[in-house]
Amino acid sequence: MATKVSQTVSEARQVSEGPRRILLVGNPNVGKSVIFGHLTGKYVAVSNYPGTTVEVSRGTMRLGGRAFEVIDTPGVNSLVPQSEDERVTRDMLISCQPDLLIQVADAKNLRRTLLITSQLVEFGIPMVLVLNLMDEARHRNIEIDVAGLSGMLGIPVIPTVATEGEGLQQLNRAIGQAIGKAQPPIDPLAESRNRLLDSDPAAAQVAGLLGSGGSALPVQLTLEWLQTRDSGLRGTIIERLGLDEAGREALETTHRLTLRGLSARLDELRTGLLDETTGRFKKVLPGLAAEARDNQSLTVAYLLLAVGAVIFLYTETASLLNQFIGPYLGWALPTPYAIVNGWFDRTLIPGAQGWLVGHGLGAVGTILFGALNPESGAWESGFLYPALTQLTLIIAPVIIPLAFVLYRSRRFAEKLGRWSREWQTGAPFLIVVLLLMYEFVGVVGAGTLVDAFETTLFNQYLTPWLQRLIPAGFVYDFLVGDYGLVSVGLTYALAIVLPIVFTFFIAFGLLEDSGYLPRLAILSDRLFRVMGLNGKAVLPMVLGLGCDTMATMTTRILATKKERIIATLLLVLGVPCSAQLGVILGITSSISAGAVMTVFGVVVSQMFLVGYLSSKIIPGRRGDFIFEIPPIRVPIFRNVWTKTRLRIKWYLKEALPLFVLGTLILFILDRFRIPTPWGSLSGLAALERALAPVVTGILQLPAETARVLILGFLRRDYGAAGLFDLVRTGQMDVVQIVTSLIVLTLFIPCVANFFMMIREHGTRKALLMLAFITPFAIGVGGVVAWLLRALRITF
Amino acid sequence: MHHRIADEIVEVLEAVWTIEEEGTASEEGVASRAMTDVTPELLAECERAGFIIRPGGGTVNLTPMGRQTAEEVIRRHRLAERLVVDVLGMTIEESEADACEFEHLLAPNVTEAICTLLGHPRFCPHQHPIPEGACCRRAGDQISAVVTSIDRLDIGEQAKVAYVSARNHRRIQMLSSLGIMPGIPVRIYQRYPSFVIQCEETQIALEEEIARDIYVWRE
Repeated sequence: MATKVSQTVSEARQVSEGPRRILLVGNPNVGKSVIFGHLTGKYVAVSNYPGTTVEVSRGTMRLGGRAFEVIDTPGVNSLVPQSEDERVTRDMLISCQPDLLIQVADAKNLRRTLLITSQLVEFGIPMVLVLNLMDEARHRNIEIDVAGLSGMLGIPVIPTVATEGEGLQQLNRAIGQAIGKAQPPIDPLAESRNRLLDSDPAAAQVAGLLGSGGSALPVQLTLEWLQTRDSGLRGTIIERLGLDEAGREALETTHRLTLRGLSARLDELRTGLLDETTGRFKKVLPGLAAEARDNQSLTVAYLLLAVGAVIFLYTETASLLNQFIGPYLGWALPTPYAIVNGWFDRTLIPGAQGWLVGHGLGAVGTILFGALNPESGAWESGFLYPALTQLTLIIAPVIIPLAFVLYRSRRFAEKLGRWSREWQTGAPFLIVVLLLMYEFVGVVGAGTLVDAFETTLFNQYLTPWLQRLIPAGFVYDFLVGDYGLVSVGLTYALAIVLPIVFTFFIAFGLLEDSGYLPRLAILSDRLFRVMGLNGKAVLPMVLGLGCDTMATMTTRILATKKERIIATLLLVLGVPCSAQLGVILGITSSISAGAVMTVFGVVVSQMFLVGYLSSKIIPGRRGDFIFEIPPIRVPIFRNVWTKTRLRIKWYLKEALPLFVLGTLILFILDRFRIPTPWGSLSGLAALERALAPVVTGILQLPAETARVLILGFLRRDYGAAGLFDLVRTGQMDVVQIVTSLIVLTLFIPCVANFFMMIREHGTRKALLMLAFITPFAIGVGGVVAWLLRALRITF
Repeated sequence: MHHRIADEIVEVLEAVWTIEEEGTASEEGVASRAMTDVTPELLAECERAGFIIRPGGGTVNLTPMGRQTAEEVIRRHRLAERLVVDVLGMTIEESEADACEFEHLLAPNVTEAICTLLGHPRFCPHQHPIPEGACCRRAGDQISAVVTSIDRLDIGEQAKVAYVSARNHRRIQMLSSLGIMPGIPVRIYQRYPSFVIQCEETQIALEEEIARDIYVWRE
C-alpha cells in the first residue's frame, strides 16, 4: 500500500518535472543491450563483441501504466577517466537527472562492478544493481552474497542471466518498487569521506567550495574530475559548481595541492572499500567443477564429436582429392555423403517421386527433390533433397556434438577458446571453420538453394507461367523478356542472391555470437598490421564477405580515421561479397586449381600491396589493439535469428530496389536505339563498343564482357552473375576467365556501396577511392592478361 | 667516488646531447637550449676540459668523454622524470624542475636502483629515449628486476601491476578501464601472435607495444 501512495506522490513530481527517465549504466559487454531490449521490447544490435553500443539508444518502458524513457548508455569502466564513450555516459549522469539508475554488471567481476557502484551511489539517485552473467560466475564457482550486498548498499541487487531470461521477472518487480520508494542508496564511503573532509581546515574549505553552488554534484567524483587532464571537463565542472572568480581562483591555484592530496586519499578509501567488500561478498568455492556430475553424457558427446570431426575432415579431404586428382586417376574416393546420396538418388527419391506423380503431385515432388540430371545420375535443384543430406551428413556430425559439449562443459569451452587463439592450433581451427562455412554458404546456400530457387522455382514454374499469362509485346518484354523485371531482376535478387546472403548471415551470426571473431582478431592482428590496420579490422573484413556495403558501415568500430579509410578501401577493392563469391566459386569449379590460385593470389597480394602503401601514404595513426576477450559459448538461437532477420531486411531494402533499377536501366539501354559513330545501335551495344578498346584491347576479353562490367557497377554480384552466364555458354577461355574474375573482384563497388562510402567518408574521399580503384583494377587485369599470354600459361 | 663536474658544464653537455639527437649542435643552439647562461668562457672551459670540440663554423661536437658524461646526465634526468611521473604521479610539466635537480644529485648506484625499480624503461615521459645503463644491459638476459614490463614475462607467470607507463594518456585510460590498474594481479596466457592476459575474471588481448607499457611486480 505504501508503494501506491508514494507512486501517486512521484506521479505528481512527474507532472512538474517533465519526462521520467531510467538510465542503464555498466561496464562494456555485460549485457546492457539485452536488458535494454527486455525492458523496452526494442531490439538493439546485441553482440558478443565489446563496445557494440557506441550510440545512446532510447526506448520506452511501461510500468504500472506509466511510460518511462529508458536510456542505454555506452559501456564504461569508471566514471573518472574519459574515452569518448565514457564521456557520453558521464554527461548523461550529470545532466539528465534520471529517476532511477540501473547498473548492469558482470557478476564474475565484482571488484570492477563495485568500482562503478561506489561512484554511482554518490549521486543519491535510486538504484538497482543487476548482476548479470550469473551463469558464467556459477561456472567458475563464484558465489556472491546478494543479500549482504543489497543490505550494504540499500538497493535491490538482482542476479540474472539476461540472455536466457533468468531473473528478469524479479528485475521488473525490483524496478517498480525502487521507483515507488524513491529511496536514495546508502553510500558506504560517506562516513569516512566526511571525516576526511572535516579533518583539516584546507580540506573543509575545498569541500565547502565544491558544495557551495548547490550543484548536487558528487563530491568525490568532482574532486577526481578536477584532477583529470581534460581541461574541457574541468571547465564544465567549475561552471556547474557555480563558483565566483575568487572561488575558481581558489580551486585552481591555492588549493591545487590540497585537491590532489584529497583525491589521492579518497581514492585510497575507495580502493580499501573495494578490497574489503569484494573479499566479503565474493566467495570462490573450491569444490569440484560442475561438470563432474554429467561425466557420462559428456563422454558420449566427446566420442560423437571425435567421430563427426573425422567424418568431416575425411569428406573434405576426399572431395578435394576427387576434384583435382580424381580425373587423372579415373576413380573417386567414396565419402559417407556420396554413398548415402547415391542410394537416395537410385532408390529412395525415384520411389518417392513415382508415388507423388502417381497421386498427381508431381510438381510437389519436383519442388522438394528437384529433377534427375541424366548426366550425373543425381537428383538436383530441390528445396529439400540435396540440402537436407548436405546438412545432416556433412555439417551436423561436427556441429551438433560440438554444441552439446560446449554447452555442458565450461572447461571444454575454455580449452576451445584457447585453441582458437593460439596460432599453432588456431590456424587449423580456422581452416575447419572456413570449410564449415564453405559447406554451409558455398554448397548449401550458393549451390543447392540457389539451384532450387533459380532452376526449379523461377525458371521452371514462375517465369514460364508468367510468359504464358502475358501476351507478347512491351509488357511481356518488360516483365519476362531478355532483360525483364521478373525474368532477370527478381530472379537475380531473390533466387541467386537471397539464399547466399541468407546462409551467410546465419553463419556470420553464429560466429559472432559464439565469441570466435575476437579470437580471429588475435590470430590475424599481425597480418592486418602490414596493411596499417589491426586485428579489430577482422570483423568488417569477414562481414564484407557477406555484403561490402554493410561492412563499410561497420568500419565505424575501428578507432582511427586512418583505419576506417584503409578498411573501406580494402573492402571495396578486394573483398568479394557473398553473392559474388558464390558465383566466383561456381565459375572456379569449372577451371583448374592453378587458375583459381592465380585469381585469389593476385587479389590477396593486391590487397596487401594497396593496404601497405596506403598505410604509408594516408596520414594518421593506427589504433591500439587491445580489447576484452568474451568467453566462447554456444550461440543463442534467438540472437542469431534476430540479427539475421534484421540484416536480411536491411539487405532487401537496400538491394532489391537496386536490382530493379539495374534491370530497368538495362532494359532501356537494350530497347532504345541511339545514333552512334558506328551507326544506329541499342544503348547497350553502343556502351559495349565504347568500352571495347579497354575490354578487348587491354584486357583481351570478349566484347560482351563490357556488359558484365556495366552490370557490375549496379551490383557487383549482379555483374558476377552475368559473367557466370558468359562462362557457362562457353564464350571465354581459361585465361579470359581468370582475367575477368580478377577485374570484377577488384573493380569498383556497387552503387549501394558507393553511396555508403559517401555517407561514411564524404563525397571527396569516396570519389578519390573510385578514381583510384577503377584504373587500378583494369591495370592489374591488363598486366595479368598480358603476362599469362606472354608466358603462354593456359592452365 | 663519483667525480662532480661543475653544474654549468653539465648543463652545456646536456644541451649539446639533446640537440645532437635531432641533428648538429651549434653555439647558438646550445646557448638557447641550456638551462644555464652560456658564455664564451664557459664553452672555452668545456673545450679545455676535453668535453667538446669546436671544429669551426659555430659547430659544437661532443668528444667521446663528453658524450659519456652527457649520456650519464641525460640518463639520470630522464629516469628521474619517469620516477616522478610514474611513481609519484606528478604531471610531466611538474616533473621537469625536480628532474633537473635530480640529475646533479643522483649517485651511480642510486641511478641503477631507480632504473631497476622502474624496470629499465626505454623512454622518458616526453618519449625521448633513455640511454641504456650497465644495469639495463645486464637485465637484457638475466632478468632480475623487481619491476618489469609484461612483455618480459613468460607464459603462466603471475604478477601484480605496478604502474602503467605514461607515454600515451588514452592508452592508460583504456587499460584502467579494462581493469589494469596498480595493485591488480595479472597472469599471462599467450605471447604470440598477440598477448593475452588474465586480469581478475577477464581475459584481455593486447599487442606487444601495449604490453611493454604495463609494468608489474613479479611474484
